[in-house]
Amino acid sequence: MIRRIARKELLDTTRDGRFRVLAILVLAISVTSLLAGWKHYRDVQAQHEQAQRATRAQWLGQGSKNPHSAAHYGVYAFKPKNRLSMVDTGIDPYVGVAAWLEAHKQNEFKYRPAQDRTAVQRFGELTAAEGFLVLLPLFIVLVTFSTFSGEREQGTLRQLLSLGVRTRDLALGKALGVAAALALVLVPATIAGIVCLSLTPEYGSLAGDTARAALLGTIYLAYFATFIAISLGVSARARSSRLALVVLLSFWFANSLIVSRAASDLAATLYPTPSAVEFQSAMEKDLADPSDVEQRFERRRQELMQRYNAASIDAVPINFAGISLQEGEEHGNEVFDRHYGRLFEIYDRQNHAYQIAGIIAPLLPMRALSMGLAGTDFAHHRSFVHAAEEYRRSIQRVMNYDIAERAKPGVVYTAGPELWEKVPDFQYEAPATGWVLEHYRWSLLLMAAWLAGSAWFAFSSASHARVD
Amino acid sequence: MLEASALTKQYNGVAALDNLTLRVEPGEVFCLLGANGAGKTTAINLFLNFIEPTSGTARINGLDVTAHALETKKFVAYIPETVMLYKNLTGLENLEYFSALAGRSDYTRLELLGFFKQVGLQHEAADRRVGTYSKGMRQKVGIAIALAKGAKALLLDEPTSGLDPKASNEFSELLRQMSADGVAVLMATHDLFRAKESGTRVGIMRHGQLVRTLGTSEVGHADLERIYLEQMHD
Repeated sequence: MIRRIARKELLDTTRDGRFRVLAILVLAISVTSLLAGWKHYRDVQAQHEQAQRATRAQWLGQGSKNPHSAAHYGVYAFKPKNRLSMVDTGIDPYVGVAAWLEAHKQNEFKYRPAQDRTAVQRFGELTAAEGFLVLLPLFIVLVTFSTFSGEREQGTLRQLLSLGVRTRDLALGKALGVAAALALVLVPATIAGIVCLSLTPEYGSLAGDTARAALLGTIYLAYFATFIAISLGVSARARSSRLALVVLLSFWFANSLIVSRAASDLAATLYPTPSAVEFQSAMEKDLADPSDVEQRFERRRQELMQRYNAASIDAVPINFAGISLQEGEEHGNEVFDRHYGRLFEIYDRQNHAYQIAGIIAPLLPMRALSMGLAGTDFAHHRSFVHAAEEYRRSIQRVMNYDIAERAKPGVVYTAGPELWEKVPDFQYEAPATGWVLEHYRWSLLLMAAWLAGSAWFAFSSASHARVD
Repeated sequence: MLEASALTKQYNGVAALDNLTLRVEPGEVFCLLGANGAGKTTAINLFLNFIEPTSGTARINGLDVTAHALETKKFVAYIPETVMLYKNLTGLENLEYFSALAGRSDYTRLELLGFFKQVGLQHEAADRRVGTYSKGMRQKVGIAIALAKGAKALLLDEPTSGLDPKASNEFSELLRQMSADGVAVLMATHDLFRAKESGTRVGIMRHGQLVRTLGTSEVGHADLERIYLEQMHD
């Protein structure tokens, strides 16, 4: 019975010319955005690999010079992109993907495409995720809004119910019918997505990314099912198709455009971030504070004199210039950790508040999960920033301790490629899928709640659907 | 087969149907006559359990329709003033869908075409989308659905209003065949002529009450009209 209803709904829908035009349009947009994402991913990935090799070659080939000069010379670190970033670019265009790692400074990230954009472009980048999270729900609303109310207006609902059809069977059949119609768009889009993913064999193992892609796909499906159920429920409850359409479009509009911005603004009001200038000047003030550095120098001086049983620091067989450089670094690191830690903590709180606002709009937890699984969210960014900073600090340590051990006071000291090679190439392992799910457990929970709640709404609305 | 006992439906204290008691046996065609708002459609809606009775019971095949909402619907077929069909489907697809939902998904194409033929629809109409169907054709599809369902009772709500005389006549002929096969028919209608022609009994309703019941064989056309108008005048 349910299957029969689903089959009729599918046939009825697909014979509608308006559906065909819409479906082709949505499919074209999905495939185009996937291809654009794939192209962008390949280009950026190729550039990164090249740049990463170039920065390594430059580091190794910098010739003979003082290690501290080398530390200032610096290297670049590039954030590797997950394959799924071709689906959802997340915050990457805003936070950048490359950092210059040099002495004394934890630099901001560079290469932010959003900086070069006009205001109009900034309004909306058409990624595949944007298509799936915003456009597809609109498509679902347009296909579904009249399924119940339309039958009531036509009078076919009376006839169906006079046959002894249960309204909940009708609701389930209709839901499956809409899902099947949707599959006509989703299956080709998914195939296009799989092809895009598999056409990037040169960038690491596919298996892990495939599992993530499957998970992301499942979560998207839950989101679509939520929209189908809400649309059916409203259609069963509304007095007319027109009213159902107005209600559903309002919900879609609020979900896609209003709540997302309102939630960001609310989160920013609840947990305000300092302006860039405030942040920078507060950090520089702490960096420039001499008392802490002086204390550190004195402590190390005493320590070394004690260890080598020397009367003065000049009698210690270690070059104190290297030690003081390293202590300066350590001081800076503490300041960076404090300031960036505080800033990132605020971002995390904002993100959390944003996710919790998903109680009113399913798009918010979906965005979080989509970016999270694509590896383009703030949590991944933070993880990479941390790894890059650790790498910067390790370079400084190697350079400074080399000065401490080898440089003779009063003699110009230079080191060569053997030292540069002591610094390993930068390797970064992005967090695993389990870590992502753990991080976004609230969003997962909210999505499950939306799915269950909307299914209940659809069934109870259908069970109480009036005949006329 | 169809049985109402003291069936009453009130809306805000006003009785749309007042204490209706009637029985329609297999093979009978009972025609409910009366002005608009006399309670004819309310009676049919109560049999279909589309509305809840205020008091009294409606039974189909001995079962209370409110307590056995789904089971009682197995025995009846309902034909409204205009049978509504899905315009994107062909006539045959519509028939197949409605009979499948009535529990008969086992018919072959040939059998379904047989029902089409039985109600006098052209073979070529079967594979055409129903957007082009006339009202007469739609009503015939309604009968075909009832036949496919194997209904033991028919509930008809002014099924011939607006039909041209030929189509109306064909429809009545189909009803006669069904009642000859032992189907109980309850039909609300304005058409005194049709009621006399195809009905076995007529009931005249006024303000929700069944005020007069008579057998169609007892009266002639002119008598029926006179009695009807008398009842309307009071």
